[in-house]
Amino acid sequence: MRVLRALPLLLLALVPSVQRRVDASRGAFSGGDDTLYLWSGAQVRRLAPGLESLLADVYWLRTVQYYGSQHAFEGGGGYPLLGPLIDITVSLDPRMEIAYRYGAIFLSEHAPQGAGRPEDGVALLERGVAAQPDNWRLRQDLGFYTFLFLHDAPKASRVLDEAARLPGAPAWLRTLAGDVLLRGGDRATARRIWEELQAQALDPAMRGNAWAQLAVLDALDEADRLTGLVQEFARRTGRRPASLEELVPAGLLSRPPVDIYKVPFAYDPGTGEVTIGRDSPLHRPR
Amino acid sequence: MGSGRLTRIAAVAANTFRESVRERVFYNLLVFAMLMILSGLLLARLSIRQHEKIIKDVGLASIDVFGLVIALFMGVSLVSKEIERRSLFPLLAKPLRREEFYLGKFAGLALTLATNVAAMTAGLLLTLWATGATPDLRLLQAVFPLVLGHLLVVALALFFSTLSSPTIAAVATLCLVVAGRLSDVVRNARTVLPDAPAWLVEAVYYALPNFRNFDFKDRVAYGEAIPAAALAWVTLYAAVYVGAVLAGGVLAFRRRELH
Repeated sequence: MRVLRALPLLLLALVPSVQRRVDASRGAFSGGDDTLYLWSGAQVRRLAPGLESLLADVYWLRTVQYYGSQHAFEGGGGYPLLGPLIDITVSLDPRMEIAYRYGAIFLSEHAPQGAGRPEDGVALLERGVAAQPDNWRLRQDLGFYTFLFLHDAPKASRVLDEAARLPGAPAWLRTLAGDVLLRGGDRATARRIWEELQAQALDPAMRGNAWAQLAVLDALDEADRLTGLVQEFARRTGRRPASLEELVPAGLLSRPPVDIYKVPFAYDPGTGEVTIGRDSPLHRPR
Repeated sequence: MGSGRLTRIAAVAANTFRESVRERVFYNLLVFAMLMILSGLLLARLSIRQHEKIIKDVGLASIDVFGLVIALFMGVSLVSKEIERRSLFPLLAKPLRREEFYLGKFAGLALTLATNVAAMTAGLLLTLWATGATPDLRLLQAVFPLVLGHLLVVALALFFSTLSSPTIAAVATLCLVVAGRLSDVVRNARTVLPDAPAWLVEAVYYALPNFRNFDFKDRVAYGEAIPAAALAWVTLYAAVYVGAVLAGGVLAFRRRELH
């Protein structure tokens, strides 16, 4: 009887040590379990009639947490559940603007920052535009993403022009639509778009993403400048430098070039082209 | 209805209200609902933006669900408990008609629910205020229809409890509530059941209590103003449906043999 009385306390005392073993076996910073029991927004809608908005919030929180944990602890890894989670969220609440806007970023950005599926990101924004035809911000983002990620300047220009005609849209959208069409995929237009997104950003995450994109454009400009210096070196010496460090004693650079993350720029002595270092967070696959 | 009759109904209602607010389960549900509303604060912190909307969604859903639970479980036990405890018989021996007792019970629980919803709404507004958001009084445009829906649940629960045991009454009421919340599925039933006769689908659609009518949570959480006409129509719908169910309940209660 005395043993029986002590048993609950004894067993409870064991819990922390067993939990530590469980934590050790899973890894201290393991992401959440990749399980999604219901894949259809329509199915989830029927589960809690009248509470769709609350469920949409829950799925949106799950989307954000999933993205965060995959990004922080799993190194991206393709984000396989991102699409279904966002789909369920916007099926439950087609008016949740933030889910379209952030969802498009999560889906479109290159890995590991995002899922690297810009077609899905643009499709999500198209769905948002269909659900909220008078929302100029969603249509603007659709135009931006069509231009920035799908490089379809004519379509992007048309969408931006449509956005410019909606109530509340800023006047500069119309001039931007013209620039996109006339100047195609030039970097100056991309820079202008990201600067607008940075200015419009309502929170640090969105602002940070726009800042990162502008940093990529800065790094691309710097790589072009360095390529020009390589050409100048070749013009002076009759050969290309073996490495970018050779530009320093030649007086063309004060020190070996690195980007804002202190990652050296990549140089191909065969072509003389300078690009962003592969190890840099600014590197984007072509 | 004479003033004497109204006085008797009011007396039963006041007594029912006093009894209901003494129930421990009422306080448990209220505390849990408040915790749910406050949990919106935590959930909002986990999200990117839309903090205010999440707090509103969680708060309104809590008012909806906990109001429903209180209406359902208190509604089915109101009359049956009086019969079980045999406290009904001395009451009916007094100059008190059965319908007066029945309507008084309904009014008492309605008052309890209104008090409960008022407390939860105050909790939601305070939560919004605590986060720095403006306590939006337009939330009342979503809360008021929810109360109407709760009243309909009470009427249904009372009706079924006069016909059967509290358990069966609770199941029957819950089934109607779920079916009524899925009224859009019923209306579009012919898309998946093309052979179903249109008149039957239509009849089922109009016969079921349409609980979708009382749901303005989503629109209000997005800051949309609900037109007064829409609220008036919903109020009229609730009055008609609650009136019909109460009348049916009174008839059933009159005929019920009490041993």
